[in-house]
Amino acid sequence: MDLAYKQHIAETIFEHVHEGIIMLDREYKILALNKAMEQWTEKPVADLVGEDSKEVFHDGMGICPHCVASSAFDKGAMTVEIQKGIREEVTKYAELSAYPVKDGNGVITGCVIFMQDVTERMLSQSEVARTNEYLEGFIDNSADAIVTSDLDGMITSWNKGAEKIFGFSREDALGKFYPSIPDFLMEPEREMIERIKQGEVLRDIETFRKKKDGSIITVSLTLSPIKNAKGEVIGISCISRDVSDKKRVEKELVRRNQEFSRLFFISSAMRGTLELDRLLRMVLTAVTMSDGLGFNRAILFLVDEKENVLRGAMGVGPSSPGEAGEIWERLSMEKKSLSDMIREVETGPLRKDSFFDKLSTGMSIPLDEETILTKTVKEKKFFNVSDINKEPLSDIILTQQLGTEAYAVVPLISRDTVKGVLWVDNYYNKKPISDEDMRFLSAFANQVATAIESARLYEQLAVAEKELANIFDSIPDMVFLIDSDYFVKNVNSAVCKRLGKQPEEIIGQKCYKIFHGKSRPWEECPHNKTLESKKEHVGEVEDPYLGGTFISSSSPIFNIKHELIGTVHVLRDISELKRLQERLVMTERMAALGEVAAKVAHEIRNPLISVGGFAKRLEKKLSGNLKEYADIIMKEVGRLEGILNEILGFVKEMRIVKEPVNSDKLIDDIISLIQSDIEEREIIIKREADGPIELYVDPGRMKEALLNILTNAVHAIGSNGMISIKTYVQDNTAVIEITDTGEGITDENMPFIFDPFFTTKKVGTGLGLSITHRIIEEHKGSIEVKSTPGTGTTFRLFIPLNAQKEQINRKGGVV
Amino acid sequence: MKILVVDDDLHIQRLYKEEFEEEGYDVVIASNGEEAIELFNRENPDIVTLDILLPDIDGIRLLRQMKEKNPKVPIIMSTAYDYRDDFAVWASEAYIVKSSNLEELKEKIKELVKK
Repeated sequence: MDLAYKQHIAETIFEHVHEGIIMLDREYKILALNKAMEQWTEKPVADLVGEDSKEVFHDGMGICPHCVASSAFDKGAMTVEIQKGIREEVTKYAELSAYPVKDGNGVITGCVIFMQDVTERMLSQSEVARTNEYLEGFIDNSADAIVTSDLDGMITSWNKGAEKIFGFSREDALGKFYPSIPDFLMEPEREMIERIKQGEVLRDIETFRKKKDGSIITVSLTLSPIKNAKGEVIGISCISRDVSDKKRVEKELVRRNQEFSRLFFISSAMRGTLELDRLLRMVLTAVTMSDGLGFNRAILFLVDEKENVLRGAMGVGPSSPGEAGEIWERLSMEKKSLSDMIREVETGPLRKDSFFDKLSTGMSIPLDEETILTKTVKEKKFFNVSDINKEPLSDIILTQQLGTEAYAVVPLISRDTVKGVLWVDNYYNKKPISDEDMRFLSAFANQVATAIESARLYEQLAVAEKELANIFDSIPDMVFLIDSDYFVKNVNSAVCKRLGKQPEEIIGQKCYKIFHGKSRPWEECPHNKTLESKKEHVGEVEDPYLGGTFISSSSPIFNIKHELIGTVHVLRDISELKRLQERLVMTERMAALGEVAAKVAHEIRNPLISVGGFAKRLEKKLSGNLKEYADIIMKEVGRLEGILNEILGFVKEMRIVKEPVNSDKLIDDIISLIQSDIEEREIIIKREADGPIELYVDPGRMKEALLNILTNAVHAIGSNGMISIKTYVQDNTAVIEITDTGEGITDENMPFIFDPFFTTKKVGTGLGLSITHRIIEEHKGSIEVKSTPGTGTTFRLFIPLNAQKEQINRKGGVV
Repeated sequence: MKILVVDDDLHIQRLYKEEFEEEGYDVVIASNGEEAIELFNRENPDIVTLDILLPDIDGIRLLRQMKEKNPKVPIIMSTAYDYRDDFAVWASEAYIVKSSNLEELKEKIKELVKK
């Protein structure tokens, strides 16, 4: 390659390389420069050869090849500089490399300078630097705690904010597991870390952090994953903001501006809730929610006047620091507002399972003890115990069972009476209870007391209502409600039982159909009478449809407008009562009679015997009229003795000797006794029997009993009539039914027919039917009488068969 | 034949005495339990009529006392009451309801004395 060619190549390269090349002599005169230099010059490069570099590259431009040349001349070696200049109002960076050129003697005669545009590089470098600088400044100067950790939670960075907020220095924290997490939150926080590892970002979580001095602060957290270029999570960043101040300000605002609207809301919610349990829970929720009153724990004590104690009614609050953390975490994440919570308590299922609640409801403080709680009740004022150790009256039960160190209590006063006490503390975050807290709590307590009072009244009402419903159903009398259109509105179980129907078969039906079996209203109906008079109506009703005698009371029901809307009826079946009353009267009469008769027997019989006995002796010795007189005396005495025997026969303690008796034979025997009498009177005896019944009775006594009835029947008929005697078994009872076609028994006489000495006959003692009654009673049986004056009378004798068999068996056993 | 009549009524004592004496019986009279026991021991009656109601002792106890002394002497209980069932357990030989008509009593006495 010849020299000329080499030169040509050099010139070509010189002209075409992208780097600018400029050659200066020792005087900084431009010897040569290539085309690429034009990006650095204001004039075309062709005009610049021979010019002074100091003038071509002036100060205003900022780029100075001669400056780097000067350094290279001084050093005698290659020198590199980066220079910043402005070219067409754009900042540019140039990297200038100056190579000294030496002659054969090693004397520097000039230099070649390569200029490269490094603007892009320079700018990007300074951007990073500036960002880093900015970030570092930001992180360090941030008021927030900005902390990073590795995936295990070991702290990798800890800014000044963190030092300030948490009190732990950078050195304290680095390489350790988050020292600011309170022990009680360890578990939930670890779970959160797991979520971050999955790439999740958790923003604005309100929770608690522990300071180095142990105090608890409220913070708002944002946790996010730190990812490498591949997108893998390699660490965790955690920004915590101390919101205790913010909270305080917020609360201040709440208290100043929203106190009344809040109270209004809570109290209206409370007023709307009349269930005491639910209400109490709402109250306590409001007291413990962070945007409510914000206490950690609260207990409602109610005054139990009967026992004279203050009794824990409900407690709300975490039972352990762990639970506290979880709850707060959850609430903060669910972002539930106080009104949400209140609404939830108002309508949701009642949870009553917390340990703290159980602990609370087990508490009972006698009101005669002298403690802060009882003083709150007695003095009707609130107490704020900031340190239990300084308050001699602080409640031991609270400090021992709840571990409280500081607490406040306010009385719940309604109508000037203390209904209970609201107790609060801040056990978990140790926040002192302020005067402001107390003011709000007191205002709140007044609302609570009124609401509790209403709820209690309502509860009593509900209990009363339930009791009423129970009573309604358990009344043995028939109770039913009829509306003004004769529809049955409600009935109790006694009605259903009597009618043998289900309530749904009765309710909604017309009353006259149900109760009287009629197709139209019954005129005698007490309901009608009450509807007409609009007054209560009480009377005795005999209702053949229901089958019995009743005392019926019907009372009008009015609505609020005093319009009559129906009636309420109480029907008492007095059939049994009447029977009992009659029996009672008879028993009393007979007891009285027994005493009289005993005296009569003593006092009269002996004189009668003397009179009669001596009359007889006289009669034997006399003749004519005198003999006749003595005879009359004898006979009259005999008649008196007969009456006396009849009375005493009735009064004496009757011993019945039972034996198996054939009912047919028994009746045959009796008929034979009156046979002649009935034949004379032309009375027909009609016999009806399903077949002979084996009775177990005293035949003599039973004959006496039946004879009395038959004799009465004969006398009632007089002559020309019929007596029918029917025997049958019904419900394990032998029934002997004797019906006559006689004159019948009048209603006036009916109640007295079994009374001793009651008689309508001209002759007779009036003891017959009472003796019959007595005999049947001795046999554990009963008598029923039905009579229609003018038509006849039916007597039914009921003689139980079961008891007889038992007795036969017993007897058999003895033999 | 000797009848001991135990009755506190003076007229009845006289009535019984006259009637029984007419029938040929010897009659001794006691007005109370004490006299009755004394006469029962002393007079050895063949038969006794005993009123159940006496001023000092009830007839049932007297009956027993007499039966303990001499069970062979028949005793007829008599009273204003019909106590028949109650006396079933006591071994009196007969029981009558006192009456102005003494025929039943006399019949009973006759029956019992014959045995």
